[in-house]
Amino acid sequence: MDQSRSRPSAPLALRRALETVLVYAVLASVAVLTVFPFVWVFFTSFKGPNDPIVSVPPQLLPHDPTLANYARVWSQLPVGRFYANSLLVTGAVVVFNTLLSALAAYPLAKMKFPGRDAIFYLLLATYIVPPVLTSIPSFVLAVTVFRYYDQLASVILPYLAGVLNIFLLRQAFKAVPDDLIDAGRIDGAGEFRIWWTILMPIVRPSLATVAIITFVEQWNNFFWPSLMLHTRETMTLQVGLVALQGAFANDARGIAAGVVMTVVPMIIFFAALQRQFIRGLTGAVKG
Amino acid sequence: MTRRLSLTPYLFLAPALLVIAVFVLYPIGAVVYYSFTDYNIVTPPVWIGFKNYQQLARDPIFWKALRNSFLYLLVTPILISLSMLLAIVVNRRLPGITAFRALFFIPVVSGSIAVGIAWRLMLDTNGIINGLLLALGLLQEPIQWLAEPALTLPLAMALTTWLGLGYYMMIFLAGLQNIPEELYDSAVIDGCNTWQKHWHVSVPGLRPQITFVAVISSLAALQVFNEIFTLTGGLGGILNSGVTIVFYLWRQAFRLNHAGLASAIAMVLLAITLVFSILNIRLLERGTEEA
Repeated sequence: MDQSRSRPSAPLALRRALETVLVYAVLASVAVLTVFPFVWVFFTSFKGPNDPIVSVPPQLLPHDPTLANYARVWSQLPVGRFYANSLLVTGAVVVFNTLLSALAAYPLAKMKFPGRDAIFYLLLATYIVPPVLTSIPSFVLAVTVFRYYDQLASVILPYLAGVLNIFLLRQAFKAVPDDLIDAGRIDGAGEFRIWWTILMPIVRPSLATVAIITFVEQWNNFFWPSLMLHTRETMTLQVGLVALQGAFANDARGIAAGVVMTVVPMIIFFAALQRQFIRGLTGAVKG
Repeated sequence: MTRRLSLTPYLFLAPALLVIAVFVLYPIGAVVYYSFTDYNIVTPPVWIGFKNYQQLARDPIFWKALRNSFLYLLVTPILISLSMLLAIVVNRRLPGITAFRALFFIPVVSGSIAVGIAWRLMLDTNGIINGLLLALGLLQEPIQWLAEPALTLPLAMALTTWLGLGYYMMIFLAGLQNIPEELYDSAVIDGCNTWQKHWHVSVPGLRPQITFVAVISSLAALQVFNEIFTLTGGLGGILNSGVTIVFYLWRQAFRLNHAGLASAIAMVLLAITLVFSILNIRLLERGTEEA
């Protein structure tokens, strides 16, 4: 340790260059580990019947590229419906959850009323409860009360409000100066109009954060949808992908095509909105 | 005016509270009740006292599930150290660095089901992993990755780590960017080499993030399901080698229709989660005090 001080250090530029090479080596190897499963699945999904899935030495690129695997999957499973269902469920949950959570967050942040702290701490306490715990009674409700088993409503309704989203938006509303709200009240605006026309535009970045968190969560949601959706026509992409895995048990190319179709929309979306995604998903930490 | 104001906050809260009351609060109460009943969802629950809990205490698979879930907590220190190291590596200005950061984040958004199924394909006895290892001469015989009980849990944990690395890296990166540059400068003046510099400056500076990641990743580890489900094809692994608390709950409730017994498992999970959360909040308070 002390040697580094006494030893004549290598020229600074050389050491810097060495460090840079080392850093790139680490980055490249982690990148390979990260990307390899996607790349392999992607190429496998285009492999023809004469391209081996595995061989020694392994063959990554298809020699005989084909869309037949995709065609086979599309013809045996209603993949279009999976997409439509996933879009509908995710879209509905993102829009309504964001709105209902923002509605609830406003009085918690900016109004004084009896029971406010009790409500807030009650919500906080429910956040600790593992979601799986509620699945058994929710299943009973779905079958006996709501009677929406195997219908898309069953995977929308339970997610129409979220405790985390309420917290994040409460923080955002708290940061808005009271003067703005008072000015609105003096102008005679009702609380709802103040919320919609004054507050909501100001907290737009936080709304985006909440929308992105909800979007990723819902698009990839599996546990509850897998309990509710059993008919192929009602399945979302994630549930459909597991059904596909079962139906194509010995068809690695077909399963690979299914994985690609499930993952690609999200990766495209992420590539387009990288910054918002990363800020949104990790920004929740500070909230 | 005062009367309108007194009702308004409740009107704003009502829709969200209704959803949470029906889908979170009521179920918590119901699951406590179910845990004391013999219940198969189809016929009404019958009160049986503590019998479900007694049955669990005698159930070797339940103990195995508990053990597996606690073993699974090993992902937390692994994730903390790997993602902190990676954050230190990407915390510099180099051409292409933002592209690398984004690349490392892709598993976070791509969903554990699709990725788990991709891993299952790769780990097949006739899969690419064996192919690569055989071609490199690292293996003489293919390994039955998915049929070897000792490997089920480690593979699922590797998958969890792989899925979460980019997310936690970003959290540490944000923390690193808040550490004042002067602290590093003075560490260098004090004669620290690169490793010592990070050990004495970065690690203490990241204390709040370490605590946060510990909390989040350990609670997620206790609740792991998707990784086990996809890697074992929904079966839980040979000899229940991959059965965790949540997986066992799922199997008892939704495969075997033992909703009462599963509710008792849920109560055990809740108790563990509460103890963990209290410990974690203590840690969190200490972490932020010292930060």
